[in-house]
Amino acid sequence: MELNNDPVTAHKKEETYLLEAVQLTKRFPMVLANDRVDFNVRRGEIHCLLGENGAGKTTLAECLYGFYKPEEGDIRFNGRCVNLSSPNDAIHLGIGMVHQHFVLVEPLSVIENIVMGTDHKGVLLDFAATEKKLDSLCLLYDVKIDLNAKIWQLSVGEQQWVEILKALYTGVKLLILDEPTAVLTPPEAERLFSVLQRMKDEGLSIIFITHRLKEVMQVSDRVTVLQKGRKVATVNTKDVTTEELAYMMVGRKVVFQVNKDEIKRGDPILQLTNLTAKSDMGLEALHGVNLVIHQSEILSVAGVAGNGQKELFEALIGVRKATAGDVIIAGKNIVNNSPRKIANEGISHIPDDRIGAGLIADFSVEENLILGLEENPPYRKGLFLDKSHIKKYAEESIAQYDIVTPSMKQRTSYLSGGNLQKVILARELRQSLKVLIANQPSRGLDVGVIEYVHKQLLEMRRNGIGILLISEDLDEIFTLSDRIAVMFRGKILKIFEAREANIESIGLLMAGITDKETQ
Amino acid sequence: MSPVDKLKFEKRDDISPLGRTAAIVVALIAAMLVSAILIKLANASPLEAFINLFKGAFGNKRAILETLTKSTPLILTGLATVIAFRGKIWSIGQEGQFFLGAIGGYWAYRIFEGLPAAALVPIVILGAFLVGAFGGMLAGLLKAYFNVDVIISTVMGNYIIDYFLSFMLSGSGPWREPGSYYQQTAEITENAYYPLLFANARIHMGFLIAIACSMIVYLILNHTPFGYQLRAFGSNPRAAKFKGINTNKIIILTMFISGGLAGLAGTGELFGVQYRLRPDLSPGYGYTGIIVAMLAGLNPIGVIPAAILFGALINGSAQMRIATGVPTALTFAIQAIVLLSLLSAQVLTRFRVRRVDHA
Amino acid sequence: MLDSLLQATIIVNILASTVRIATPLLLGAMGELVTERSGVMNLGIEGTMLMSSFIAFLVAFETNSIILAVGAGMLTGALMSLIMAFMASTMKVDQTVTGLSLNLLASGISLFWYRVAFKGTSTESIPTIQTMGSVKIPILGDIPYLGEIFFNQGLLTYLAFIMVPVIAFFLYRTYTGLAIRSLGENPRAVDMKGINVTRLQYLSVIFGGVMSGLAGAFITIGTTVRFLPEISAGRGWLALVIVIAGNWRAGRILLAALLFAFMDAFQLQLQGIGIQIPFQILLAAPYVLAIVVLMGSRARSLAPRNLGIPYIREEG
Repeated sequence: MELNNDPVTAHKKEETYLLEAVQLTKRFPMVLANDRVDFNVRRGEIHCLLGENGAGKTTLAECLYGFYKPEEGDIRFNGRCVNLSSPNDAIHLGIGMVHQHFVLVEPLSVIENIVMGTDHKGVLLDFAATEKKLDSLCLLYDVKIDLNAKIWQLSVGEQQWVEILKALYTGVKLLILDEPTAVLTPPEAERLFSVLQRMKDEGLSIIFITHRLKEVMQVSDRVTVLQKGRKVATVNTKDVTTEELAYMMVGRKVVFQVNKDEIKRGDPILQLTNLTAKSDMGLEALHGVNLVIHQSEILSVAGVAGNGQKELFEALIGVRKATAGDVIIAGKNIVNNSPRKIANEGISHIPDDRIGAGLIADFSVEENLILGLEENPPYRKGLFLDKSHIKKYAEESIAQYDIVTPSMKQRTSYLSGGNLQKVILARELRQSLKVLIANQPSRGLDVGVIEYVHKQLLEMRRNGIGILLISEDLDEIFTLSDRIAVMFRGKILKIFEAREANIESIGLLMAGITDKETQ
Repeated sequence: MSPVDKLKFEKRDDISPLGRTAAIVVALIAAMLVSAILIKLANASPLEAFINLFKGAFGNKRAILETLTKSTPLILTGLATVIAFRGKIWSIGQEGQFFLGAIGGYWAYRIFEGLPAAALVPIVILGAFLVGAFGGMLAGLLKAYFNVDVIISTVMGNYIIDYFLSFMLSGSGPWREPGSYYQQTAEITENAYYPLLFANARIHMGFLIAIACSMIVYLILNHTPFGYQLRAFGSNPRAAKFKGINTNKIIILTMFISGGLAGLAGTGELFGVQYRLRPDLSPGYGYTGIIVAMLAGLNPIGVIPAAILFGALINGSAQMRIATGVPTALTFAIQAIVLLSLLSAQVLTRFRVRRVDHA
Repeated sequence: MLDSLLQATIIVNILASTVRIATPLLLGAMGELVTERSGVMNLGIEGTMLMSSFIAFLVAFETNSIILAVGAGMLTGALMSLIMAFMASTMKVDQTVTGLSLNLLASGISLFWYRVAFKGTSTESIPTIQTMGSVKIPILGDIPYLGEIFFNQGLLTYLAFIMVPVIAFFLYRTYTGLAIRSLGENPRAVDMKGINVTRLQYLSVIFGGVMSGLAGAFITIGTTVRFLPEISAGRGWLALVIVIAGNWRAGRILLAALLFAFMDAFQLQLQGIGIQIPFQILLAAPYVLAIVVLMGSRARSLAPRNLGIPYIREEG
């Protein structure tokens, strides 16, 4: 079938799209999220929506799902203009969405989650009919899931299937997936892709939102690129290269490799022995982790979320109780010490949750820069804070890290994600730093800031600091690491030297598939 | 830096100082209007009632000094609230801790009764602060180590303290004035009186203590590491914990200080005004203190004018009742209306910003 | 003393009182259970009960009609909780402060209104009303002992106990109940399904308010012939404690309510016997018990995860 690359003229040729956004504009108080975007999906196609963090992909999808109401523009379903005032309307048209952050009710069961809010007869819950329908869906797509399991008992991958089943259960014709592979191991992602192909064969259309170029090339028929709220282009996937897509995404040539110099690894600085801890639900989450971090090294922990990284991070910084094991720095065992004591030993951290765990949104930039340091001279003089010293330190930090803010007194809630991360970096990378634990340092940041963060980490490495990098982003891991440890179900399965590792071997381990020779 | 790369968080936008002042003004006007309605329901003329209220509060020098006297405990209970609420520690124990302070002060008085004033008064103040602080600290400990909500433990505590006082002052209780028909202690001796500031007026040293406390709380909150940690904890307890702030210490110490401040209020009333320990030593000063603190925007200096406002209300209501027959209980109604109006007004100033994104 | 306590009549007395005293606690707690399941923590139930007590009393005094009084109590509860719902769900203001404000408002207005309405009453002629009598259930009420305890109570008491299985059934076996339970855990999940979160929260909060209104009405027209300032005496707070102690489950809430009620009934009996313990200690006992109970329930594992947090649709 001849495909016209320009969706506008294609429309003029009277092709009726399944779903179409015409000059869609969505504004928020601080931000123009979608700027006159044209977008369409055909029946039986997989259409990728590609863009950086903050390009407007999710917002566009939420408009198509009826969660947001666009300020301007039309949405057309099968050619007819529709007014989606709530997700209910979208669901009734046959549009379903699987969000990046799942919207599941954790204490409830799979079937309760699926049934909640769906059309029903009568007042009383009737699970029998639902079970039958779900069983046949599971059979069709070869998905195995216990309908009565509580959500919190499921793995992240299984939870995603619940989200997909939620949409399929309502008889969806168009499925929107927002960054679905962010939480999957490479094998699980492959599985998802094959299921999507199956769905496409069954006549479903799929909008696949992602910022990963490889996925676009692998799975889609067409791809639409968004940049800073505007649509850059819509192309057939087979007609385009990754470099071209990257250029459209970012607007400039993207260097895929940050230059990492060869540095000789130093002495061991931080040693984890048999570190064991429980999750919030009381289950064993860390099973005797052994790691040694050296000076002048970046040791990465690769793995999909939910395999103990959170517990590892929190146990190391003193916020979660380790039920067994030791953490030794410079001969001192600091396991289960208070967070402040650990920080004073020269261990800093960048949390994965900037706003929730790294900053006080109501505080000014100046005040955030001394968070954790408020009891230390020179920021403190006797009983009081030394305000002039704090001010000087803030001025220096803002200049050195190029933090964009109208003034140091500005509340951090008004800063962008990238600048927030810079505030955290300025604070954590102060002198007398021995070990840095970076947890998802590039999450939610755009390419320019990611480059900056990576440069800072490599600089620290050059200065002799040992860095433990916990990341779900394999690109980042391959860019920065000297060694890579793969974590699965609370254990370190194997540690690679970076040059020995490739995505296949790491990917298998991330999914827990070990061969007989590895431990 | 992409302009679209924006924060996601659920904190509401900050109210500008202009917005905050507007909210207070709107709240007070709304309170006056509703009060006018209530006064009409009491078969009196609102105009007359307000005039007498004002006269009673500010009509002459004596009235003004009495207003300041009435505002003294309110400043202290207001400060007690400010320091706790800034840490989002929702203590409602000011009323109970007020009485703990009175009890503590009286207890110290009974032990050291013979001493000259110069020694006795400071001891009494110390005793009051410590017992009040102890009560507050208990609530803090319960929260830190047993996760018992401060709201509930302090509310329950208020009842328990009330019964305890009732026991101490009961017919067979150890503190009852011998031979008296009323639930009260004997009058305290003059050497324990708080010095008066002026002749012919009831305003006493407690007022100066209250002003001093206001400045001390301001210093603590804004110029000490502890104050910084308290504010951080109140705003984002998770980040505070991650960055090494000892949250248990914050809760316990804050409640200690809060209880102590409320305790100072109680002993001020006992040794500065009433000279007897009685269950009606407080007509709800603890609860009014909460409203004072809210009206002041949880600002320790702002507590002073807010407390004076409510002190004026309480003082003026006596005159109002004499002249127009409106029950003094109106003050309680007005206090509550001010609080609700304030909440609503604050909300309305945010109203415009929030509505934009609704589908 | 012990043998005088162990007499059958005394025991029956205590147990019957327990059932009666549990009524407002149970009504308040079950209502608050539904409210909290939807994610709103209504700290204003103490004030709601107080205000409803007063209004019910006033209406009973003026009209001599129990039905109107109960209705007025329910209406008062609905109106006060409407304020809470508006502030919490529409305006998304801090729920704690709103609840406290409602309590102060109720204290202030009920006292003022009482003074105005009954101006000039002396201590001899304190206004009183006719209370709701008890209704004996035929046949069941004649069972020895049990009949006296369970089946010879006021109508509101029967209602309170029936509501326990009814509300449990509603929450776990109906679509709306499922939606409410989901709402308290993850409002975004409910919003994404196209359910009107605000409307559902309003319904839950107002239902809780009506129940508190019934509880308040019971305090005056159900048991006490007169109105006293602060007559609710912390029952609203105890209802909150009971929800926590019951770990947000109907059956446990029933047990917790009975426990508190029993303590109260027991100490009343002790006072009647004339025991050596100062009566203030007995009166303070329920409040101490509340703290002790909460110390023991530090699990709190079943609290709705989004309780007390206003739901705001995220932007961008």
